[in-house]
Amino acid sequence: MSDLLTWSSAPARRRLLARLLVAAQVLYVLGVAGAGYATAALGQHIVLATTPVDPRDLLYGDFVRLHYHISETPLRLWHDEAGPPRRRQGVFVLLAPGPDSLSTTVGVYAKAPQPAANQAVLRAWVTDVYRTSFTLRFNLERYYVPEGSGLRLEEAGQRHPLRVHVSIAPWSQARITKVEEQLKAPEPRR
Amino acid sequence: MLFFCTSSPITSALHYQKVSRKFLETEGPGWVAEGIISEEQRQKLLARYPPEARALGLLPLLGSILVGLSALSLVAANWQALPNVLRLALLLSSLTGAYAAGAYFLRRGNPDLGHGLIGLGLILFGASIILVSQIYQLVGYDVSGLLAWVVAGVGLSYVYGSRLLVLLTVLIGAAVQTYCVEALGSFSYATALLVAGGLGYYWWRRPEVVSSNVLAVGLLWQAALLVAATHSKITWFFVPAMLVYAVGDWQPQRAGGRALQGPPLVAAYLFMFGLATFGETDTYANVLRPPLLPYLAALAAVFALSVAGKRARGRLDTLLDWLLLLPGFYLPGGLPLAVATLVVLYAHAGSVLARAHRHEDPGQLTIGAVLFVAATMVAYFKLTWAFLDKSLFFLLGGVLLLGLSWYLRRRNAQVLAAAAPPVAQQAGTPPITPPAPSETSSLNV
Repeated sequence: MSDLLTWSSAPARRRLLARLLVAAQVLYVLGVAGAGYATAALGQHIVLATTPVDPRDLLYGDFVRLHYHISETPLRLWHDEAGPPRRRQGVFVLLAPGPDSLSTTVGVYAKAPQPAANQAVLRAWVTDVYRTSFTLRFNLERYYVPEGSGLRLEEAGQRHPLRVHVSIAPWSQARITKVEEQLKAPEPRR
Repeated sequence: MLFFCTSSPITSALHYQKVSRKFLETEGPGWVAEGIISEEQRQKLLARYPPEARALGLLPLLGSILVGLSALSLVAANWQALPNVLRLALLLSSLTGAYAAGAYFLRRGNPDLGHGLIGLGLILFGASIILVSQIYQLVGYDVSGLLAWVVAGVGLSYVYGSRLLVLLTVLIGAAVQTYCVEALGSFSYATALLVAGGLGYYWWRRPEVVSSNVLAVGLLWQAALLVAATHSKITWFFVPAMLVYAVGDWQPQRAGGRALQGPPLVAAYLFMFGLATFGETDTYANVLRPPLLPYLAALAAVFALSVAGKRARGRLDTLLDWLLLLPGFYLPGGLPLAVATLVVLYAHAGSVLARAHRHEDPGQLTIGAVLFVAATMVAYFKLTWAFLDKSLFFLLGGVLLLGLSWYLRRRNAQVLAAAAPPVAQQAGTPPITPPAPSETSSLNV
C-alpha cells in the first residue's frame, strides 16, 4: 500500500520532511521581514495626507487609525465602462504629487492603469458608494506606533493632518514607512 | 502514531486496533465462559492489542488554541516596546520551539501532546506571518502571504498523519479564504484547491468520520465564499456542495463517504426546509433562480457523477438523497411551490426511514422520524389553513406513518426469514464491523 501519505509519514523520511518544512517556515517568515525592507528600499515613495478625526477615535491601543484625505473620492474620477463602483470591489487609484509633495487622486480605475513618470498606483477597496462620491479603504488605515517615536500622534492628529509616507513595491505589497506631523514641529515631545 | 506499534502499517490501523481491543474486552469473557477460548488465550489476544492512551483528539486542539491565544495576547501587550530584531527572534524561536517539542513528545510515544504542540507550531507560523507584516507596516494585495500557512498545514498533515493537523488546516484554509474575500474582495482559488486537493487526497486515503465531517464543512464554507465573492445566485452553492457529496459516493469506505456527505445533505435539507417554510412569495423565490439550463446542466453532471459512484460502490440505496436537490424554486411561488417542497420533504423522510429499516440502523431511524415530524410541522403551518381540516390532516399523517412502519416491518421480517442463517449470525454480534477494505464493502448494500 504505497501512497503519498504512507510515503511521507514513513519514520525515516518523516524526520527529514518535518525539518525541511520547519526550515521553510522560518525562511518564509524571514522572507516577509525581507519584503518589508525591500518595499521601503525599492518601492515607489508617496506621501499622503490624513484628515483630522475625533481624538477619542484615533488611538486604538497600540495603533493609530488613519483617515486619508484621498479616501473620499468624487464619482467623476471613476473610470470604468462596466458601470459605477460596487461595494468591496478592488480598485486602482492613480496618484500624482500635488503641492507640498502630497499625492492627490488623478483617477480611480477598475483595471490597473499605466502611470506616467511621476505618478503612482495604489490599490484600494470600495467601502461605500454615495450619490456623488465614494469612499475607499487602502488597508493602510492602521499605524502601529513605534515605542519611543516621540510622536504624540493622538494630539497631533486632532489639530492638523498627518503626513503618511508610503512605499509601494513593484510586486503587490506596500508599507507605511513614516508618519509625521504636517507642520514642522520644533521637537517631538515625549 | 500507531505505525510504530503495529507490524502492518495499514492506513486504518488506528481505528482497527481500537475496535479490536474494545471488541475483545466486551466479548472475551463470554467466549471464555462458553469454552470457545481459554482465559490464557484471551489474555494473549488482549496483549496483542495493547490499550492505547485515550484518544481525546479535541483536548490537544483546544489546548493548543488556548496556549496560542495566550501567547499572542501576552506578546501583544508588550509588543511595541520590543525592538524589531528581538520581536522577529521571539517569533521564530517560539515557532521552532513548538515544533521541536512536538517532535520530542512524538518520539517519547505521546502522540496527543506531540500533535498538539505541532499544531501550536502551525498556529505560531500564521501568527508570525501576520505579526512580521505588522512590524514592517506591510500590507499585501493578494493572499499569497497567507497561502504559505495553508501549504504548511497540508504538508504537516501529510508528514505527521494527524487528525488534529487536518482539522487545523481546514480551519486555517477557511480563515484565509474568509480574509481574502472580506478584506481583499476576491476569491483565492489556490487556497480552495489546496484544501480540496491536499486534504481531499488525505481524506481519500484515511476517511475518518470526524475528519470527513470537518473537511466537508470546510469545503462548503469555501463554496459559500465563492458564491458570495462572485455575486452569484445562492443556489449555485449546491453545485460544488453536491460535488463534495458525489466524491463521497466514490469513497471505498462507506462510513467515511457518508460522513463526507453529511454536511452537504444537511445544507440541502435546510434549504429545502426554508423553501417550504418561506418560499411562498415569488419575489423571494426569484432571487434563487439562476439561468435554468446552465444550472440544471451543472447539477445533472454532478448527479451523473454521484450515480456512477453509487453504482460502482453498490450504494444505490442512497440515491433518494438527491430528492432534496430538486430545483423546486423554479416553480411559481405560492401554493404550487409549497405543495411541491412538502411532497419532496415527505418523500425524503420516507426514503430515510425505509433505508434505516432495511439496515436496521436505529440512529438513521431516529433521524428519519425527526425529518418526518419536521415535514409534518411545516405542512401543518402551511397547508391546513388553506384547504385541509386540521384533524383530518393529522389523521392522514398518523395513518401514513403507521402504514409505512407496518409495511417496513413486514418486509424486514420477510427478508430476515428468507436469509435466516447468515443474517442471524450477523445479527447476534453488535454492528461494529471493522472498516473493511474496499472488497468487502459491498456487504453493506
